[in-house]
Amino acid sequence: MINVKNLYKDFGKCRVIDALSCDIKDNECVVVIGPSGSGKSTFLRCLNSLEEPTYGEIWFDGKMLTPPDPYLHPDIIKASNTYKKLTSGNTDSEDAVAKIKKEDLLKRHEGREYASLLKKFDAENHLDINIARQRMGMVFQHFNLFNNLTVMDNLTLAPVKLKLKTKEQAESKAMELLERIGLPEKKDEYPSKLSGGQKQRIAIIRALCMEPEVMLFDEPTSALDPEMVGEVLDVMKSLAKTGMTMICVTHEMGFAREVADRVLFMDSGKILEEGTPEEIFQNPKSERLKSFLAKVF
Amino acid sequence: MDFFEKIASLFTNEKYMQIIWKGFTTTIYISLGAMVLGLVLGTLVALVGLSKKSKIMVIPKAICKVYVTVIRGTPMALQLFIMAYVVFAIRNFPQILTAIIAFGVNSGAYVSENIRAGILSVDIGQTEAGRALGLSNATTMLHIVIPQAIKNVIPAIGNELIALIKETSIVSMIGMFDLTNAAKIIGSGQNMASYLIPMTVVALFYLAIVYLLTLVIKIIEKRLRASDKR
Ligand SMILES: Nc1ncnc2c1ncn2[C@@H]1O[C@H](COP(=O)(O)OP(=O)(O)OP(=O)(O)O)[C@@H](O)[C@H]1O
Ligand SMILES: [Mg+2]
Repeated sequence: MINVKNLYKDFGKCRVIDALSCDIKDNECVVVIGPSGSGKSTFLRCLNSLEEPTYGEIWFDGKMLTPPDPYLHPDIIKASNTYKKLTSGNTDSEDAVAKIKKEDLLKRHEGREYASLLKKFDAENHLDINIARQRMGMVFQHFNLFNNLTVMDNLTLAPVKLKLKTKEQAESKAMELLERIGLPEKKDEYPSKLSGGQKQRIAIIRALCMEPEVMLFDEPTSALDPEMVGEVLDVMKSLAKTGMTMICVTHEMGFAREVADRVLFMDSGKILEEGTPEEIFQNPKSERLKSFLAKVF
Repeated sequence: MDFFEKIASLFTNEKYMQIIWKGFTTTIYISLGAMVLGLVLGTLVALVGLSKKSKIMVIPKAICKVYVTVIRGTPMALQLFIMAYVVFAIRNFPQILTAIIAFGVNSGAYVSENIRAGILSVDIGQTEAGRALGLSNATTMLHIVIPQAIKNVIPAIGNELIALIKETSIVSMIGMFDLTNAAKIIGSGQNMASYLIPMTVVALFYLAIVYLLTLVIKIIEKRLRASDKR
């Protein structure tokens, strides 16, 4: 569903995501844990291009979201004349690729051709980011409900404006979801009148109104009072049960144990360790993860 | 005659009322025209200034920056002279248009700063939530950010409009016949030896206009507040 290849993200001189690669499969619920500042939010925000990756590729359902990187992308390198020339003389292809990168031959000798290759590759493989975002729901730590709109308008704005649904369809879908989370009577309220837990549950169904294929959660319960955490986690759990593909950054280890198919432990921009919840929580291998778990529990 | 009778006599004197009425309409026309121009120009300049950095936007962004800096850094009276005697020094060019453009261009620079601040004051999370749903930048701006920004900037824009109305009194410097100039003309007539009465009357006119505008702003503010009753 989502493939991340060799992703880098720098803020100025600070490298926040460092050569990260991972694959998220269909219907998988992945929980991302890690110390503060390890780049979890940045990673999630790169997935739907809220942050533009500095380098690397993100593939969504077989289509590329990031601009193709000519120096990294094997397909393009393979198609290039320089590559053909280099590989024709029995050289080991890995060496050849390294040589291309080093000497920047693509750029120097194949300007036009290289540009048209890129264009062709782009046309075949690229997915417009706005389309991708329609298929990728995101839930934020601070809810980010639209303050100027009622709950109902929050839920229906995007599907209606993007012409995915008529107003009636969107409203009936919104009502159905509101009933599922038990808040149908709030439909005409403004967000400022809701509790944190209610806001977050509505933020979740706002994303669901788009009928996404993947849901991204960035610490959805961190800004909540303790007594409201449960209600939000319950919505997320029931969502996971429906088989939704989910990527959740969270500090709720109980949630991770219960619903995660896989847990990723991030530290300083890398995935340091990954595995099933049992593997991660019962048999942590790296020292970093051990000391992190010791702090959390 | 005592003070109030004199004021009353001014109001009943048809000739004087005609002069004041003419000055009044001039002031209103200039103010309204400049307000509209200023708001449109200010919004455009603010949006250009806040747009993402890209190659095609470099020049428009630079122009907007220079515009705001120059307008805010030079006196209004000088700008008015330049408009009247340099830019629109065209025979038969309507003076009122010159004034509207001069004041509108001036007001636009201040309004743009207000709107810019207003848009920046809207939590970035609102934009992110809109974009994350797949809405375009324009749709997000139009339906989410700008409605919230407007609510934040109404008081500042109100102040700017009030200042604008009073500022228009300097059009007499290019020989235009506005409310302030009307007072001067009546004051210098023989029947009204003193300037005091016409000046007071005209002051009342300005007060009334500003008061009305304040009311309108209050009503708009109240309407827009509907969404954050707590
Ligand atoms: N817009 C930005 N500009 C500059 N630096 C940033 C920006 N966003 C994040 N960072 C830096 O990137 C690093 C990783 O941030 P990120 O928010 O991804 O961490 P995190 O793992 O989500 O942490 P937390 O658990 O506190 O949310 C931090 O050191 C932060 O200071
Ligand atoms: Mg974070």
